[in-house]
Amino acid sequence: MSGKSTIYAFLGVGLLTTLLFVIVPVTFSVGLSFYKMESFVGTPEWVGLDNYKSVLSDADFWRALLSGTIYAGLSIVLQLILGVGLALILHQSFFGKSLVRGLSILPYLLPTVIVVLTFKWMVDGSVGIVTELLKTSGLPEVRWFETSSAAMMSNVLVSVWMWTPFVTTCFLAGLQTVPESLYEAARVDGTNAFQRFIHVTVPVLKPVLTVVILLRGIWMFNKFDVIWLMTKGGPLGSTENLAVMSYRRAFTQFDVGGGAAIATISFLILSVAIYLYFRAFPLETD
Amino acid sequence: MLRKTLKRATLSAVGLAVVLYSAFPIYWMMISSVRPPGSLLTEVSLVPTRFTLEYYKNLFELTDYPAYFANSVIVAFSTVVITMVLAVMIAYAVARYRIRGKKAIVIAMLYAYMFPPLLVAIPLYAFFVKIGLGDSLISLVAAHLTLTLPLGVWFLWGFFRNLPFEIEEAAMVDGCTRLGAFIRVVLPLSVPGLITVAVFSFLLSWTDYTFAVIMISSDVNKTIPVGLASMIGSFDLRWGEVMAGSTLIAAPLLIVFTFLSKYFIQGLGAGAVKG
Repeated sequence: MSGKSTIYAFLGVGLLTTLLFVIVPVTFSVGLSFYKMESFVGTPEWVGLDNYKSVLSDADFWRALLSGTIYAGLSIVLQLILGVGLALILHQSFFGKSLVRGLSILPYLLPTVIVVLTFKWMVDGSVGIVTELLKTSGLPEVRWFETSSAAMMSNVLVSVWMWTPFVTTCFLAGLQTVPESLYEAARVDGTNAFQRFIHVTVPVLKPVLTVVILLRGIWMFNKFDVIWLMTKGGPLGSTENLAVMSYRRAFTQFDVGGGAAIATISFLILSVAIYLYFRAFPLETD
Repeated sequence: MLRKTLKRATLSAVGLAVVLYSAFPIYWMMISSVRPPGSLLTEVSLVPTRFTLEYYKNLFELTDYPAYFANSVIVAFSTVVITMVLAVMIAYAVARYRIRGKKAIVIAMLYAYMFPPLLVAIPLYAFFVKIGLGDSLISLVAAHLTLTLPLGVWFLWGFFRNLPFEIEEAAMVDGCTRLGAFIRVVLPLSVPGLITVAVFSFLLSWTDYTFAVIMISSDVNKTIPVGLASMIGSFDLRWGEVMAGSTLIAAPLLIVFTFLSKYFIQGLGAGAVKG
């Protein structure tokens, strides 16, 4: 086989599969959003933009958009602050540093399911360890899921615990590339540690931060499993985001077209957001 | 001198706090899975003195857990193997040849990261139902490939790009075909990159709940994350069994991570992302 044909064979097989598994379903999904379909085995009926009209005029949609944005925003900000802070600490040298680094990544490895289950077990009303701790230290009981703000905070808490290590690891890898001479020069200029962080570390690590924020943003906006497993979108739909809403429409309320329409709309919103993000923070390409 | 010692001590204390914060829930999950029922549900004790394997026994004898476990293993391994083969082919072709639209392919791969899971899952499920393969492990593998393939291509593309082309040229001058040079020279040199992709694909597939809950409905085809989550409803909160089941999903990950953490961290640095 000649060189060229090997390459083309590789590319052909590869692209065909990608097309089959990624592009076709997405296109098909957008298509589905123009049909009324009550189950996955039924025959779809063309309804044009009706699904979009009904979704956009549904107050629940706007609430889900808002609540999903709040959830994503809060968890990204907290992940960033905590992640960068942790990276700065783990970049110092101290006793047991490599062990601490290794252990601090663990939350990121775990499946969402067991993180949520363990969280629910720890805050269990009768014998959860957190409940006990609060009781023995005389603090008031926390009802983690009962009000909408408590449920939202619980979702954010679990998400921050799980995904902060991603920020930490990326930032830590970046920190190792900052030349020590820059810090030396800044020290000679009489700056303090905070000024060095703002004027040396942040500018050098801007590309890393840009990508980290983008990726975390996309994933948190699309997040389904945490919210579904923690609160099922409740209480009374207050923590539902677009992913959960789309799932409920398509799989529990037998409105496949409506579910597809919500997924398509959230994809469009995300695309616009990413476009604006890149306009504001262009990636440095090589 | 004193200041330095003080700084070290403070940092170590913070380090300890980080360890507690990150690892305590995992410790608590594991320890809860071996505490006898009497004490587990009545008292909190940080270091238990009595242990039992009762929950593990129940899990294996009274629930479908063994089947869930087998399904997870089948799905994860198929996903890893298929991802490796296809991602290597695409990434190599894109990295080594001037093809029109090459940039588009790479950007499309990155773009695939941002698809809302439901945008992929709804049509995929509809498709598999239509061809009579709804609620099957194959459909779940296909769903996982929508995540792992872009990731694999993206990562390996960067990897192949950094391998000097001269090494293949040398092999071809020595009489290898392109394919021969690829198999005998490029692949062996790419082992670290391949391991990283394998680790990430495994992680994505093994921990996935979102696609599994959509694609799979029957009990016999459930993977552990979905099986375990459904136990919560039907089992009237058997915390011991639930924690035992959780420990069994986490254990393989922790073992894999202990041996392959280098590849994992390297992958993160190069844009391999999970969740």
